[in-house]
Amino acid sequence: MPIPLRERVLTLLIGAVAVAAIADSVSAPLTAQAPAGVQAYAPPRTAAGHPDLQGVWRAWNLAKFDLEDHGAKPGVPAGRGFVVDPPDGKIPYQPWALEKRRQNVARTKETDPYKNADPLAKCYLPGIPRLTYLGWPFQIIQTPQYVAFNYEWSHKKRYVPVTSVAAPPAPDDQSNWNGIPRGRFDGNALVVNLANFNGYTWFDMAGNFHSDALRVVERYTPINADTLQYEATMEDAKVFTRPWTIRMVLQRQKDVGILDYECTAMLDEMGIHHTWPRDFDVVQ
Amino acid sequence: MSTRDRFLLSIAALVVIQVVSSVPASGQDVGSRATRLASAGWTVRVADRPGGGGAAVGQAGRGRAGGPSTPAGPIPRTPDGKPDLTGRWNGSGGVLHNTVILEEHPGGFGVQAGKTLIIEPPDGIIPYQPWALAERNRRRDDANGYEDQVGHCEFYEVGRLASFAHDIMYSGGNVIINHTQHITRVIDMNRREHLPQGIRLWLGDPIGRWEGDTLVVDTTNLNGKGRMALGGDFYSSDAHLVERFAMVNSNTFNWTLTITDPKVFTRPWTMTSAVPMTRERQGGESFDTEDSCHEGNVDLVHLKNVYDQAHGNGGAVKWPPEYVQGPGPGQTR
Repeated sequence: MPIPLRERVLTLLIGAVAVAAIADSVSAPLTAQAPAGVQAYAPPRTAAGHPDLQGVWRAWNLAKFDLEDHGAKPGVPAGRGFVVDPPDGKIPYQPWALEKRRQNVARTKETDPYKNADPLAKCYLPGIPRLTYLGWPFQIIQTPQYVAFNYEWSHKKRYVPVTSVAAPPAPDDQSNWNGIPRGRFDGNALVVNLANFNGYTWFDMAGNFHSDALRVVERYTPINADTLQYEATMEDAKVFTRPWTIRMVLQRQKDVGILDYECTAMLDEMGIHHTWPRDFDVVQ
Repeated sequence: MSTRDRFLLSIAALVVIQVVSSVPASGQDVGSRATRLASAGWTVRVADRPGGGGAAVGQAGRGRAGGPSTPAGPIPRTPDGKPDLTGRWNGSGGVLHNTVILEEHPGGFGVQAGKTLIIEPPDGIIPYQPWALAERNRRRDDANGYEDQVGHCEFYEVGRLASFAHDIMYSGGNVIINHTQHITRVIDMNRREHLPQGIRLWLGDPIGRWEGDTLVVDTTNLNGKGRMALGGDFYSSDAHLVERFAMVNSNTFNWTLTITDPKVFTRPWTMTSAVPMTRERQGGESFDTEDSCHEGNVDLVHLKNVYDQAHGNGGAVKWPPEYVQGPGPGQTR
């Protein structure tokens, strides 16, 4: 009986996120504002002389549900948003895109993963920046040449070269769920420029989306030994009227390292076969 | 590389599942299987490029690296004197038989002949208990290929990983091993006790220590769901894995995996990689391939149909008409 099982797994997937967020909101700084004194802290340096951002980090906040201010919904606590620019805290959509977001939200009510519009319901790569604040921890590992991000969510990883002189792929390569990164250090911050995204990922569970014209600049700034300030600026002339920026803090996790959360295997175990058609190359 | 291109790489893995099931166990009609593959529009592709062992399941892409770029020198060391294993390594010898079947097997149907990777016991045969051998052979059967996680873009098992390129990094008290596709392991070098038994993981809980110049990684807390090879080899959640990474020179280390699992085997046994782990070049552009696979896995439906037909489940997966792009409404694809 596949449909009831799909309902169950979707409930499980969403419910797990909700429970985690609620359980941890006690200790979570829900404000989108950055603590003062960002530049005052001098982080340790790696042997290569780079700011040392290594360790296990986690976003204990509500960004996974909605990047904007929002009221409570089933399984979703009300909370402040994370958009710091523009100052009104709203993602600056073009009019048609606002309507598209409304349709996205309507289609998240589908309990069947392959009819649900949220790519996360199908366990697709969440994209950047969503993977950062999805709620599962991730580990940063640094070498002289690159910074590796190992995510607990589905054992996903990505490498950000920080000394590469190789050009990113041509702009018409719009096929990457997480984009193609080029990184550099700016003072104490790791700055990651991302392009070459496909248009299939979302920013959160509230239908916020982008096109394949998306460009992202991430900035990871250590503000004390156990806290990173995370900023991401999104630019997409097809969807937004102007660039916009989110800001939040990531907290060092000390109890146990990253474990595992195999999203696709959980679909299997709930009786949901991954046999739905993939229409990426046909339908936007 | 498009989603579809990347997906083609995963198709190759599916094909290998189909092909390997014809190798030693069942003596089925391979002609009909080849016909089935052809009718499904599949082409058999097996990675055979030197140093490119992961090509069929994920590591192909822009800027793939070849063999070592510099001649072998003495063992490099970190400031504390330990061998420096950091870098990119590959023990496949350029072929994928390591992921296909662990014991000696003949070639054919896209699979290269291979010698056994089992170095202990000396006969090169995995010492299964009778029930477990029967279960291994059941898993190896063509009709059950759908059960293997590789076709689902899931590659979780420690021994299987040795045949793909992997990056080793040191970070704080951890040794990190990132394999091709979404397979990562963080080995805790400080902890002496494993996690509580209640925490069960696809790749287990690896803790490490140095014995002289050898990195020893001890893994328990497995969930028993992983498979060691497309040919159906497995162990249970009670398994205790001990890996040894013994550096020989700057470009080479020897890797062995010893498995103790009284529930499945009659004695502990040890495997190694097809060739010693060999350093590959590692560079910026080689990182420009991400871990997508499941996202474009349009042909898992074929394995599911084979499985359903063999098991009398009424055959085909039916896609809802609104999702059917090519064939007519209600038809399978």
